[in-house]
Amino acid sequence: MKKKLLASLLTVSMVAAMLTGCGNAAVAEETPAETTETTDEAEAPAEDTAAAETTDASDAVANLIAATTDTVSLKVWASEEDQALTTDLLEKFKEAYPDVTFDIQLGSESESTAKDTILADVEASADVFAFADDQINELVAAGALQEVSATYTYDVANANVAGSVEAATVDGKLYAYPMTADNGYFMFYDSSVFTEEDTQSLEKMIEVADAAGKKIAMDVSNGWYIYSFFQGAGLELTLNDDGVTNTCTWNGAGGTDVAQSILDLFSTGVLVDMADEDQATAIAEGTVVACVNGTWRAETAQDAWGENYAATKLPTFNVAGEPKQMSSYSGYKLIGVSPYSKNVGWAMLLAEFLTNEDSQAARFEARGLGPANIAVAESDAVKSNPAISALAAQAAYATPQRVGGNFWSPAETLGQILASGNPDGTDLQTLLDTTVDGITAPVQ
Amino acid sequence: MNNKFFKAVGNYFKEFGTAIVKGDIFVKLSLLFMGAGYFARKQIINGIIMMLLEVVFAVMCVGYAAPNLAKFGTLGTVQFEQVFDPLTLTSTVNDYDNSFQILLNSIIALFLIVVFILVYISNVKTVYRLQMDQKEGRHINTFKEDIRALFNEKFHITLMTLPCIGIILMNILPILVLIAVAFTNYDQQHMPPSALFTWVGLRNFKNLFTNSATITFGYSFTKVLVWTLEWAVLATFTTYILGILLAKFINDKKTKWPKFWRTLFIIAIAVPQFVTLLLVRNFFGDTGIVNTICANIGVTDFLKNIGLVSKSLSYIPFLTSPGWAKFMIVMINIWVGVPYQMLIATGVLMNIPEDQIESARIDGASSFQIFRKITMPYMLFVTGPALITDFVKNINNFNVIYLLTQDVFVTSNQALANSNAKEVDLLVTWLFRLTNEYYNYKMASVIGICVFVICAAFTLVTFTRTIKGDKEDEFR
Repeated sequence: MKKKLLASLLTVSMVAAMLTGCGNAAVAEETPAETTETTDEAEAPAEDTAAAETTDASDAVANLIAATTDTVSLKVWASEEDQALTTDLLEKFKEAYPDVTFDIQLGSESESTAKDTILADVEASADVFAFADDQINELVAAGALQEVSATYTYDVANANVAGSVEAATVDGKLYAYPMTADNGYFMFYDSSVFTEEDTQSLEKMIEVADAAGKKIAMDVSNGWYIYSFFQGAGLELTLNDDGVTNTCTWNGAGGTDVAQSILDLFSTGVLVDMADEDQATAIAEGTVVACVNGTWRAETAQDAWGENYAATKLPTFNVAGEPKQMSSYSGYKLIGVSPYSKNVGWAMLLAEFLTNEDSQAARFEARGLGPANIAVAESDAVKSNPAISALAAQAAYATPQRVGGNFWSPAETLGQILASGNPDGTDLQTLLDTTVDGITAPVQ
Repeated sequence: MNNKFFKAVGNYFKEFGTAIVKGDIFVKLSLLFMGAGYFARKQIINGIIMMLLEVVFAVMCVGYAAPNLAKFGTLGTVQFEQVFDPLTLTSTVNDYDNSFQILLNSIIALFLIVVFILVYISNVKTVYRLQMDQKEGRHINTFKEDIRALFNEKFHITLMTLPCIGIILMNILPILVLIAVAFTNYDQQHMPPSALFTWVGLRNFKNLFTNSATITFGYSFTKVLVWTLEWAVLATFTTYILGILLAKFINDKKTKWPKFWRTLFIIAIAVPQFVTLLLVRNFFGDTGIVNTICANIGVTDFLKNIGLVSKSLSYIPFLTSPGWAKFMIVMINIWVGVPYQMLIATGVLMNIPEDQIESARIDGASSFQIFRKITMPYMLFVTGPALITDFVKNINNFNVIYLLTQDVFVTSNQALANSNAKEVDLLVTWLFRLTNEYYNYKMASVIGICVFVICAAFTLVTFTRTIKGDKEDEFR
């Protein structure tokens, strides 16, 4: 009821704004004709030329500016660390549209927990928010993301690296604007212990670390990381069309070989199962000389290893005697727009602004976050960053995270059991069967 | 007790019937126009208030209750749809149904209707009473006198109004909604406003007690329930007994500076519990400070040799293996909980009649005998109800368990993992994670109802047991 009323009010006020022109006579005279013209085009969707699209886009923005008479209130969520940068970008956004009065509230919400907050009350979501790409399915399923059906200031799909666009796409529809490409994992190592060649194979790394009396850390009792072994060996874990349940072939042919490899690797005692925070301590203490982790640990590693700090793609590991490249989840941070926003148009323009080339370059400069924008990623400054280039090297073997909620708990437990050496001596096939039962279980 | 209850209900309606049958024309008119009876007895303001109430109720029925209750059977049928116009950059939204709002509003509406019916019945009775008053020549209050009565002989009604409204808004209505959700399929796939949910009958309850390859709720529920009860018993009695002992030691005449010791333990209360718990979680982490110390002084190796720590580990899994974690949780809870019990016990101990202890001592009783025969029975009698509430509180002791094990404890029991439970979970922490991490509101509601039933049953049984009989006289 309320929504309908609001929508009709909006329409009425927009029509009124168009007719009166809000003092902008030129736009007001042009718009009616323009609108009919563009509608015709929309009705006959086809090979629009790029040029036509640009004019359409700028017309649409001009219309929007003309139609906006009231103050535009927007709520934006960015992570705690991103507050200063986002404040600057918001100021620039306001400068870019001097004819419009904005009232933009910036709130703090971590990208990793955005989903939890939004799903608690979808209608109370911020208009524009940053989130990690693994949450996109659940957000789309809950109707918390506005589809990006048109872009206005830059071409989102072609300006960003393919992986990031794929990560922002669900069922062939683009739902978010790629912001960073740095949320995946790869291998950090101390180059005083390992040569670059050593880091090609996990078995070799273990041998070297063992000789040095040091350890290699990986949080394998976590679904996010254990995925790299199974996916690397060619087994599959995918999300079903319903967006919530999973299909998983980890218990299929070759599954037990992978489980056996993980058991063998961790039974050396050199490769250890360690949570992220513990890894930070262990790196600082010097007991861990290599770890599978992400850019957020770059600083810790750099502080501890100094000049010997290095990063590279994940190594290979042996499955039934054959080396297989470890896979990984590629991770991106995206910016989304709430469909319940009262100013959807402005929210979309702001999301575009926050993810355009300049903003991504600013983000890399200010915070060292790997850009998703192709032009920025090609810059020398970005290329010389070890963590980000390691991530880029791993990208060839990485897949976007498409998995339903029932994956985490069973996978975590599988990792825990394998890393602790399968203490109950459960038959590996049974172990995997139970895990897959849990992962593929319908949501009860 | 049951008989009394039914008799009371019977009387309630009998009085209503008498009022209608024996009432005069104005009482009968009150059935239609609620203020009629008051107008007849010159209580104009009362009459106007009642008429207004009736009108407001009628408006509420038409404008609020009817549209919601009409959809109550299906919980809505119109899915959220939104169309974005890329040319104007605006979107239009259809007139969609929000299942949760329909459910919530319907329950509120039903509640208001029940309240109105009660008011309606008592209105007729009051009007009949006024008629009798007039007939027998008793004084009929003016509005002013009615108001004044609320501050004098009926002051208890005034006092109770606010707490009652609070309880209804904060407790009763949410509980009714929670109970209703247990019979729906409200979960991640059916999240309003973008999706609808609907009634599924008893399916969720069946799932809670089923155990198959894909549904392990039955198995997990039993496991979690057993640990919840074990924990509640352990946590309650360890802190209770140790608290009493501590209070006794501090109260002992030979103890020097009792006030200093007491203050020391009270400081432990002054630090917020969650700060303590998070710190302790880090202390006892796998690479935490306690493990470092234990490894350095050889405790880790010793525990490995006697088989308490698995040989493959280089640390003591304080909070990461089920057995150790349960042990540590109870231990840490003692540390956090004992000061409270000590405070309570100190108060009670100081009030034990000194003459009883004195005469026992003269009869040659030892300190232990005095403790066992006089102190403990007295303590148990005075703190019995508090002990029961403690037990119930421990069944729902979210803080200790959640803060100590969240993000640290990973279960290696696959059946538990498949229903998102862990060995150390209490029903309430399991419920919390189901709602907070998996949005499984329907199962969480079912578990919530189970927790409620367990707590309520336990409280009722034990309270009637402890209060029953002549125990109160024993200590007089």
